[in-house]
Amino acid sequence: MRFPSSRHRLLLAVPVCAVLALTQACSAPGSKTGSTSTSSPSPTSSSTTAGSAAPGPASPASDTSPIKIAIVDAQSGQSSSLGKWEYNGVKLAVDAANSAGGIGGRKVELTVFDDQNDPTVSTNLARKVASEGFIAVFGPAESADAIAMSPIMQQAKIPYITSGQSPALAKLGNPYLFLNSPTSTTYDATLAKYAVNTAKFTNIAMITNNDAYGKGEQGAFTAALKALGVTPVAVQTVTPDQKDFSAALTSIRQKNPDALFIGAEEVESGLIAKQARGLGIKATIIGAAPISTPVYVQTAGVQDAEGSVASTPYLSNDTTAQSRAFAAAYKAAYGDTAELHGAKAYDGAEIFLQALKATNGAGGQALADAVRAVKYQGLVGNFAFDETGVGVHETQIGIIKNGVLTPAGS
Amino acid sequence: MQVFFQTLVGGIGFGAIYALVGMGFTIVYRTMGLVNFAHGQIAMIGAFVGVTFFLNSRLPFAVAVILSMTVTAAVGLVIEGVLRPLEAKDFDLMLIGTIGFGIVLEALASKIWGATGRAVPAPMDRPLHIFGIIVRTYDLVIIAVAAAATGLVWALLNRTKAGAAMQAVAMDREASTAVGIRVGRSNAMAFALGSGLAALAGTLAGPLLYVSPSLGSSLGIKGFCAAILGGFGNINGAIIGGLGFGILDGFAAGHFQQYSDLVTFLVFAVAIMIRPTGILGEQTVSRA
Repeated sequence: MRFPSSRHRLLLAVPVCAVLALTQACSAPGSKTGSTSTSSPSPTSSSTTAGSAAPGPASPASDTSPIKIAIVDAQSGQSSSLGKWEYNGVKLAVDAANSAGGIGGRKVELTVFDDQNDPTVSTNLARKVASEGFIAVFGPAESADAIAMSPIMQQAKIPYITSGQSPALAKLGNPYLFLNSPTSTTYDATLAKYAVNTAKFTNIAMITNNDAYGKGEQGAFTAALKALGVTPVAVQTVTPDQKDFSAALTSIRQKNPDALFIGAEEVESGLIAKQARGLGIKATIIGAAPISTPVYVQTAGVQDAEGSVASTPYLSNDTTAQSRAFAAAYKAAYGDTAELHGAKAYDGAEIFLQALKATNGAGGQALADAVRAVKYQGLVGNFAFDETGVGVHETQIGIIKNGVLTPAGS
Repeated sequence: MQVFFQTLVGGIGFGAIYALVGMGFTIVYRTMGLVNFAHGQIAMIGAFVGVTFFLNSRLPFAVAVILSMTVTAAVGLVIEGVLRPLEAKDFDLMLIGTIGFGIVLEALASKIWGATGRAVPAPMDRPLHIFGIIVRTYDLVIIAVAAAATGLVWALLNRTKAGAAMQAVAMDREASTAVGIRVGRSNAMAFALGSGLAALAGTLAGPLLYVSPSLGSSLGIKGFCAAILGGFGNINGAIIGGLGFGILDGFAAGHFQQYSDLVTFLVFAVAIMIRPTGILGEQTVSRA
């Protein structure tokens, strides 16, 4: 049997590999142009987005070109729920603003970018956003991605508001970075006080992942416990992609904890909770924002999520008239129940829209100053940005009962 | 001590899954001489199909597994059919074709089932308590099923005419054609068998891990390493390698926490350097 010579084979392999590489590249992050009234995806070439709006951030008052704002989030992969929630919250606010006439006669145009929850990709997208005339960015939802984008956003003077909560964000000192939620320090201080003083847990074990969010949680919760004079009985670290936690959970079980603190994103927290129960760990599960989400309950299963304690600034859709109105509008628009991440994103978008009205559509330093000056009573708290970009400084405690988050002590 | 035995049982449970994946690789290699780089993704498709039958159609888990194996075997037949013209002409292109199919399957899974993935409740929840060790009942089920599957595969390859035909084709394609073996059909059966095993591994792994489009790459890599560790081309080797890899993985996770992957593959690399043909020795197929 004769094969073509090896050189021939190599020459054939090269174009085949190139074709395969191209197909791979076409699944890399693309941008979906959505004008705020539709969300149909368009081809992934960037020329569609740039070509549909006039370039340049600041325009004269008689200009009717749209105000370009980008949304950078994970639209695929395990964290895609974060991206979806953020998009929903932002779009709700922007749609309402646009139907009320927009900003000085100009409509706000949203473009969605998928950063695949990968800091490398989000850095690339930051460059893209900076070069294509966007004046603001909503997102990313992940702290690691927000930190990665920071130098470029600062250089390009583009304000952005992230749903991330790692304390490392506040330490960046980027005047163009804003947070629409408290940092892990706040979440965990409230949680630690509840765990030690109210629920009176004595053996607290910790399991966190080692990405920016998880590291932030581990540091913040350990510090909060230390301030109360408590040392955790076990501290285990896992990776964000890990799917089997039996090793870590087995050593935790040896220490007989009565509370297990989970510092990981929604899906991973749900898996840890499920496997912990499967290994016979009866400890109460406590954590911050991810524990308050429906995704956590779905992943862990209603039975295993029962009794989980979450520290969150947005307890339920029923607390105030404002949250009820928001939840109703959210349900009408998306058919889904509103929750913390959508509410955070909505608040952030509302604040930016207010600031844009103040600067009449201009971006850059003026927009950043205007955002910082906004005092806004939002769904997740009273916003008053300090110079680190953090706007909200308190959270509350909720407990999951029958798959639904209810205020503690009710 | 308790931790040791618990890690051991957990490691054997995962090892059984890697063994199944490795066996699938090995069968396709032994009978077609093809290293199927899409094997992990086929396992992932099997996992998704199984989950859909188990959670959406609410069928019993065993039925869902069997259905998933059948559906995935059919997918395997399609892949083999598409790649068959390349087999006689340019074998290396067929190899590259499997890489391409892997990418296509992953994208298809994202499209059909969404990118986020689904968590699967284990079909049996309550853990067993044996001498103070908490053993997940499901782990024991996996080990039993994997053992049964291995036995069936061995019987198929060594005691049936079809199995003998598959092995003959691997040894000498022309001679097999000369004695009247239908090579195309035999290869299709081999690929379907491999895919079915992959689906079994994927569906069984679903409740242990998290069913998402990226499940394929991690299962595929570990299954491939398991097969190499035991001796590539050797079916018993795939089993030994799978179990060994699973136990290694389990203990590395216990001692090195977040660096477990690093340690596991480091040990694997060293083991391969010391004994390149694997634990039980290779049985390569020459495609000359």
